Amino acid sequence: MRTGIFKDARYFQIIFQSIFLAYGILYLHWNAEWWLYSTYFGISILTQFLCSIVFNKKTIILFSNNWWKKFQVSIPSAMISSFGLSLLLKTNHWWIAALAAIISIASKYIIRINGKHIFNPSALGIVAVLYFTGNAWISPGQWGSNVVILFGVLCLGFIVTTRVQKLDVSLAFLGTFGALMFARQILYLGWPMDFFVQSISTGSLLLFSFFMITDPKTTPNHSVARVLWAMAVAAVAFYLTTFKFMNGAPIWVLVLAQPLVPVLDRLFKAKKFQWQYSKQLTTKESNFLRSVYTHAVM
Amino acid sequence: MKSKILIIGTLIALSPLLYSFCGFYVSKADGTLKNKTSQVILVRDGNRTVITMYNDFKGDTKDFAMVVPVPVVLRKDDIHVVDQSIFQRLNDYSAPRLVEYWDQNPCNVYADDKMMEFAKTERSVMAPSANGVAKRKDLGVTIEAKYLVGEYDILILSAKESGGLKEWLTSNGYKIPDGAEEVLDPYIKSNLKFFVVKVNEAEKKKLPGNFLRPLQINFNSPKFMLPIRLGMANSDGDQDLIVYAFTRKGRIECTNYRNVNIPTDKKIPLFVQKNFGAFYSNLFDKQWQNEDKSIGFLEYAWDVSPANYYHCDPCIAVAPSQQDLVQSGVWWLAGKDWNDYSDVENEQMDDGSKNVHFTRLHFRYNRRSFPQDLMFQVTPNTETFQARYVITHPATGNFNCDAGKKYLQDLRKRRKNELVELTALTGKDINTWQDDAAAVNDEEDVADAQYATLLPQVKEEMERENHSPAGMILMGMVLIGGAGFLRWKGFV
Repeated sequence: MRTGIFKDARYFQIIFQSIFLAYGILYLHWNAEWWLYSTYFGISILTQFLCSIVFNKKTIILFSNNWWKKFQVSIPSAMISSFGLSLLLKTNHWWIAALAAIISIASKYIIRINGKHIFNPSALGIVAVLYFTGNAWISPGQWGSNVVILFGVLCLGFIVTTRVQKLDVSLAFLGTFGALMFARQILYLGWPMDFFVQSISTGSLLLFSFFMITDPKTTPNHSVARVLWAMAVAAVAFYLTTFKFMNGAPIWVLVLAQPLVPVLDRLFKAKKFQWQYSKQLTTKESNFLRSVYTHAVM
Repeated sequence: MKSKILIIGTLIALSPLLYSFCGFYVSKADGTLKNKTSQVILVRDGNRTVITMYNDFKGDTKDFAMVVPVPVVLRKDDIHVVDQSIFQRLNDYSAPRLVEYWDQNPCNVYADDKMMEFAKTERSVMAPSANGVAKRKDLGVTIEAKYLVGEYDILILSAKESGGLKEWLTSNGYKIPDGAEEVLDPYIKSNLKFFVVKVNEAEKKKLPGNFLRPLQINFNSPKFMLPIRLGMANSDGDQDLIVYAFTRKGRIECTNYRNVNIPTDKKIPLFVQKNFGAFYSNLFDKQWQNEDKSIGFLEYAWDVSPANYYHCDPCIAVAPSQQDLVQSGVWWLAGKDWNDYSDVENEQMDDGSKNVHFTRLHFRYNRRSFPQDLMFQVTPNTETFQARYVITHPATGNFNCDAGKKYLQDLRKRRKNELVELTALTGKDINTWQDDAAAVNDEEDVADAQYATLLPQVKEEMERENHSPAGMILMGMVLIGGAGFLRWKGFV
């Protein structure tokens, strides 16, 4: 019997992301930039509110009960994007943080094809701010390679992905990236094994594989297309990381690869993203959840 | 309790900077925390890197030999010898500092003008060096370039395979530490060249003194890294490395290892000032262990642009001058005459092109904790940071008024916290400080607030905090197990 908040998988993601943030602040002794996190969350929710007004579908009366319900349902998505920004994007200036939050949320409403938004919101926010302002940065080494984080991320990510998102994307990405790294570092260059283990066990890479690239709304619907797309992202990210010494290459490549998703969706016609819930859901519950997921922007 | 900030006239710094609100410099801890400490200056902007390596080789200069992997064949103009005093100045400027405040007796109001003496700790830093005897043999190794720069004979080698290179290096007297040979193959396959250095005796004789000057190399490469693997000794020899970095945009940070800020702004007991160097040494050791060793510590970060007025706060030594910066390799400052005020009338916007940001990072590495070379990135982070520790002298006189009694209570509480903090920071048992605490001789008035009295109390009250990773793993497993259980039972 499912109770309230656990029906919606997004709450799981929020819980896991807050665990990661707490881990980083308390255990890894990050500088807890509360002003930064508040800016991300505050501006995200504010932008979500404004977008809900501006992009309101004509079928719902503004500020009616239905409208408020819809807005409330969209808040967890805004929170997930804010967590993504809080975990990754750093800056000294509040207006840059605000800009990142605004771009993240607004892009879900503005950049759409066939009723589906194209870009993963936090990834786009991060990349846009990095590129256009040059006054923000991401720290690839902020997690370290401690085996605890490896273990934790894999397990938590596994739970999240098997519930809602597709594990195949994660494995395709990580497997391809890891295999290419292995081939280059161990087979070709001849580094010892722990060199490779360090490269592959950074928390940033694992978090990306299990929480960022797996967003079901911005990945191809058809499973074959999805796997091929993830492998392509991994290959290009590998190339940029290894030969162009780019930091945070996976996020950049993800953002650049996401416009391909609608194209792939048209080529590989498949069922749209389906709920895969356990059999204990009643029809009424599953209908409700489906409506939540399709109408709320993630 | 009020803190009173005094002005010390003996500090050799720009006088306006002494009106610091960050306490008074009492002492500093330099980089001599372990027997082996290397110092490197890195300058980076765009794709251009300048690396200056300190050389503290003490011995027969015939025995000196050094190998550094570099990404390109350097031209003669790209190699310079610089004055070694720049390292001392940078170290003094950015070292962790101890500052002091004085409490004012709330029952009286009078000026307290005691002055403190500075404790200077010994400095002896060493750079990794090799020894051997020169011989000639050629083994699939190409000598791409050969230069004489200052007192050094420099060769730039490229190799086809590691066996030949190793033999060439060994037979020519360049010793590669055991266990670091495993990096030769990857370096060769990554197309790195080898910059090998020996001392030219004839040139050396022309110079005064028996020291070897630092070498500075300058090249373009998209990779911003420091090859430390070649300098790693085998077994458990930990080596310390201090990196002084200058960039245009902001701080640098390491991208393949975690960066942690060294704990700062901590209040510690008075008696630490007798041996601040040892205190910081213990602190660094403990923090390094705590953070699981594969990390780099930030000890100092500041905007040292010529246009910026405050280069430190408090200043414990002269901040690097514009000449120092140019000598360290900050090429974008060269060529401007800072005594030329003709452009003062031009209200030119500061476009940031003459900015310089300084970062001091401290690594302690060994083969096991650092399997990769250090890779860095320049970030636009311009926040300042310094490792600063605070001692406070108690007020004197009598405390018969109400405010005075409250002050004494606060004083006791504060001193107990200081003792706890000291134990937490250094990881040493509180009994270690028994003698030091007893030796501090405060005024009679505050007898019951003396450290010697408070220490046993703190011992009883203190609970040990345990941040072991086992605790975290356990908690993680409980969470995941709990989640799995809930799911299995259908609660979620």
